[in-house]
Amino acid sequence: MTPQTSTIAASAISATKVYGSGEDAVYALRDVSVDFYEGQFTAIMGPSGSGKSTLMHCIAGLDELSSGSAIIDGTDLSTMKDKELTELRREKIGFVFQSFNLVPTLTANENIRLPLMLGNNKGDEAWIQKVIGTVHLQDRLTHRPSELSGGQQQRVAVARALASQPRIIFADEPTGNLDSITGAEILTFMRKAVDDLGQTIVMVTHDPVAAAYADRIIFLADGHVVNEMTEPTAARVLDLMKSLGN
Amino acid sequence: MFRIAIKGILGRKARLILTSLAVILGTSFLAGTSVFSDTLNRTFDNLFSDVFKNVDSYVRSTQVIEGNFGQEERQRIPLELVDLVKKVPGVSDAVPDVQAFARIIGKDGKPLGSDGQGPPTFGSVAMKFKGALWTISQGEWPMGPKDVALDEASAKNGKYVVGDTVKVVAQSGSREFTLVGIASYGDVRSPGGATFALFDPTTASEFLAKPGLFDDILVSGDGSKSDVELAKAINAAIPAKYKTETLTGAQITAETQDQIGSALSFFGILLKTFSFIALGVGCFVIYNVFSISAAQRQRENALLRAIGASRKQITRTMLIESIAVGLIGSIIGLVAGIGLSAGLSALLRAVNIDIPNGGLVVSQNTVVSTIIIGLIVTVLSAILPARRAGKVPPLAAMRATALEIAAPGRKRLITGFASIILGIAVVGFVMSGASNSYLGIGILLVFIGTIVLGPIIARPVALFLGRPAARFRGITGVMARQNSARNPKRTSRTASPVLIGVALVTAVTALAASIKGQIDDVFTAQFKGDYAISTDARGFGGLSPTLAIDLNKLPQVEKATGFGFLTVKIDGKGQYLTTVTPETVDGVWDIGLINATYADLKTSNIFLSEKTAKRKNISVGAVVQTTFADGVTRPLTVSGIYVNNEIGDYVANSHLVDGTPVVMFDVGVYIKTKAGADKAETVAALTAAVKKYGQGDLLTKQEYINKQSGQVNQLLGLIYGLLMLSVIISIVGIIITLLLSVFERQRELGLLRAVGMTRSQVRTTVRWESVITSLLGAVLGIILGIGLGWVIVFALKDQGLTSFKLPVGPTIVIMVMSFIVGLFAAIYPAWRATRVNILDALNTN
Repeated sequence: MTPQTSTIAASAISATKVYGSGEDAVYALRDVSVDFYEGQFTAIMGPSGSGKSTLMHCIAGLDELSSGSAIIDGTDLSTMKDKELTELRREKIGFVFQSFNLVPTLTANENIRLPLMLGNNKGDEAWIQKVIGTVHLQDRLTHRPSELSGGQQQRVAVARALASQPRIIFADEPTGNLDSITGAEILTFMRKAVDDLGQTIVMVTHDPVAAAYADRIIFLADGHVVNEMTEPTAARVLDLMKSLGN
Repeated sequence: MFRIAIKGILGRKARLILTSLAVILGTSFLAGTSVFSDTLNRTFDNLFSDVFKNVDSYVRSTQVIEGNFGQEERQRIPLELVDLVKKVPGVSDAVPDVQAFARIIGKDGKPLGSDGQGPPTFGSVAMKFKGALWTISQGEWPMGPKDVALDEASAKNGKYVVGDTVKVVAQSGSREFTLVGIASYGDVRSPGGATFALFDPTTASEFLAKPGLFDDILVSGDGSKSDVELAKAINAAIPAKYKTETLTGAQITAETQDQIGSALSFFGILLKTFSFIALGVGCFVIYNVFSISAAQRQRENALLRAIGASRKQITRTMLIESIAVGLIGSIIGLVAGIGLSAGLSALLRAVNIDIPNGGLVVSQNTVVSTIIIGLIVTVLSAILPARRAGKVPPLAAMRATALEIAAPGRKRLITGFASIILGIAVVGFVMSGASNSYLGIGILLVFIGTIVLGPIIARPVALFLGRPAARFRGITGVMARQNSARNPKRTSRTASPVLIGVALVTAVTALAASIKGQIDDVFTAQFKGDYAISTDARGFGGLSPTLAIDLNKLPQVEKATGFGFLTVKIDGKGQYLTTVTPETVDGVWDIGLINATYADLKTSNIFLSEKTAKRKNISVGAVVQTTFADGVTRPLTVSGIYVNNEIGDYVANSHLVDGTPVVMFDVGVYIKTKAGADKAETVAALTAAVKKYGQGDLLTKQEYINKQSGQVNQLLGLIYGLLMLSVIISIVGIIITLLLSVFERQRELGLLRAVGMTRSQVRTTVRWESVITSLLGAVLGIILGIGLGWVIVFALKDQGLTSFKLPVGPTIVIMVMSFIVGLFAAIYPAWRATRVNILDALNTN
């Protein structure tokens, strides 16, 4: 795989995030520059406090950088107002969170279509059906989240992220709350979404097994990109993490 | 556990503020109304002790007729008594005094002072005297038959200055005077908003009463005798045939204070009733807030249970919190209430009802009762939620989200239905003849049943009401609809205050509509004329009887007839006697005489309404002993019975009082025009005749009928105003619940914002949830209110109310208002919801 020739879906340029100022300043990100390529499954790894979640939040338009820029689909997020950012998240980004992914009052079907409905957009019905089929949710559509298992809930979340055919999907520890078998199932779906449906996924994780599903791994520590790995396996990731002193 | 409770309170200031808010509002209305009526009471107490400060004795007639609404008509005393009193040893001076109807006409030709239920318009005596009620602040005392002095406020409102010509209308007609002085009463510009035209004693007697007659004599002593001795001496000096009594200054002060006190106490009771209704509504809000906060603290409480806290301890913690909230809320409510009453006083002053300054009266009673009631109400409202909090299983600590378990209990269903059915049964018994006093119990049972069933009804009704929102507002509407139904207990508790408020408003409106409809029907059927001249001064003053005589001389008028009211004593009881003029009333007003004509009403006769005749079990030929205001009892023979008792239960001939000292006004003059009379000319002629008197409004038949039914609106307005207290609390209830729900749904809101919900969509969701909740209360309230109104109308059928009218228009208005209330209540919570920080919300566990 030669990433350089692929289209860039999102990127961070000299991204810096500081909390506080002066002597009390805490750097979550220091001058991070990284590109995420279309059609690729990228994992961001690093120990707690390494800035991996902050990086994801800033690129996804959920948080603001102190300096530098976050770019999605060619647009610099720092120039956008709250409403534009909201619409960007709705139309160009898909999200899968660790827990509490679904609106409890809506059915699985409504949850899947939520971003589309918020945008008054019917969406591509054939595509949505294909997504629902891929995550095996056909017979769970009328259920509410409280009637679904943890794994099913995450599948709905993945389906929601895919439904609007976003430019990029951000997943924050999507398997963190699941047992390993269910977790593997979700990761397989995500892998399939990239391979079969051509989606772009960026996933934050600290689990080497999960990261091994990715095409490429970016390692962060103390707010810096410290390493990068392509076509990883769980064993190689573990080795690298050991060498990084984790 | 006490420390945990205190820490818990301080740890969540927002929750504390919200919970206290409901307590504050409820108690502030209670304290405010209480302070206001105390202040009003003391104000008038002071005023009258001031006014009679230099009056040592007070002479008046013992002959008095008390009407059935507490008003009294005292016989007048002759002028010669003044000289008699002056000769009594120990008397330094004595002056005659009159207080009678007089209306000052402004420069624009309109009478000063308010119409109808407003403060009265008086004519009285002002003369230099040690014990004088009035002092002249500008100009001079009125001395001659052309002189008048006005109270300061009237002079200011009428833009009159000394030297101006002032027209005044009194019982004897209208007359022009020269303004010679401006007077003040005690230390106020005009007492209680009343207007005063003041004359020298001779003019007052001749113009306001009957020549040579006065209401009372004010006496000041020379200091040689005590007040009691002086009064005794005066009493002994006046021959018994005058039938007088002599009071000391202290006695007349106390009596006047008492009279004002009882008049004010009615007002005080009214205020108190509605502030208690408001407090009751507030209970729901307090209960709701405690329930929600208990639910939100479920995990925290479960954790405490898991590490060894007992059920009792958890419950006690919440009760301690409720005591703190009740205490803080009541104290703030007390302070707010004092501010509220200061505002009310300022409001009265702004509409020119002058209350002497003396500061607000915050009695110990007000302070203690406000705090105790506030505390009790709060703790009582917290008991159930506190007990429920204690029942939390320790395992709930491990559960992900706090959710109220809202299984529609079978017990609830049975209790609710049983209560409603029992209530309806009680109402049914009343309908079929049981005493009306059971009605209240029946209605209360239906209300309780509905509120008990609330959580069961709430979900389906909220889902139904939310349909249009879901249909037309897309996913935001869908979520609003689901949110309003997701926690039926909470929704129904929030809607209950709205339900109570709307039910009361609807019932009152339905009652008013029925009364208005009835008035329309009755007056259309009975009034056969074309025009009416009406005045609002029922019971005190009115139109000069000569107006009708003048009108009959007009070429366009076929007949003009006046109706008067006299307060008389029949069989020892005060009654209203309606006077008609038989030669003109026929064909203008139909009272539904049975086998009789107006011609049968001679001056020695009386007509009785059919109801009265039945009640007294007398008929034509019987003699009714009637005592008039001049103290003379006249035997009147019943010469007719009539059906339409809208004009009163007794009717007599107006010529009966001709040539007697009895003062009579017409309250209305009814006119039938000649066939073929030119309309414009007629109106012009009538207007000119009315204008001569400066008093009374010329109305067409329809206008007159509308005005009669319009009087109901005044009462309606007052009741609406008082129910506003409850409405405000319901709105605050919705705001608090929405805010707590928004806090509770932080994560959900964060998620929604993350996946692309705009701020305006967040607002829409909260707004529609609020509207659905408000409409839920409104719909149930309207149903109950219409039922309640119907039952009340039925119960009043003995009072002559025969048909129930559905207030369709007002019901729609109430729905629209509830919609607006929903929108309004959502403003702040919706704004708060948009301020949710996405990352913080997503990261909270």
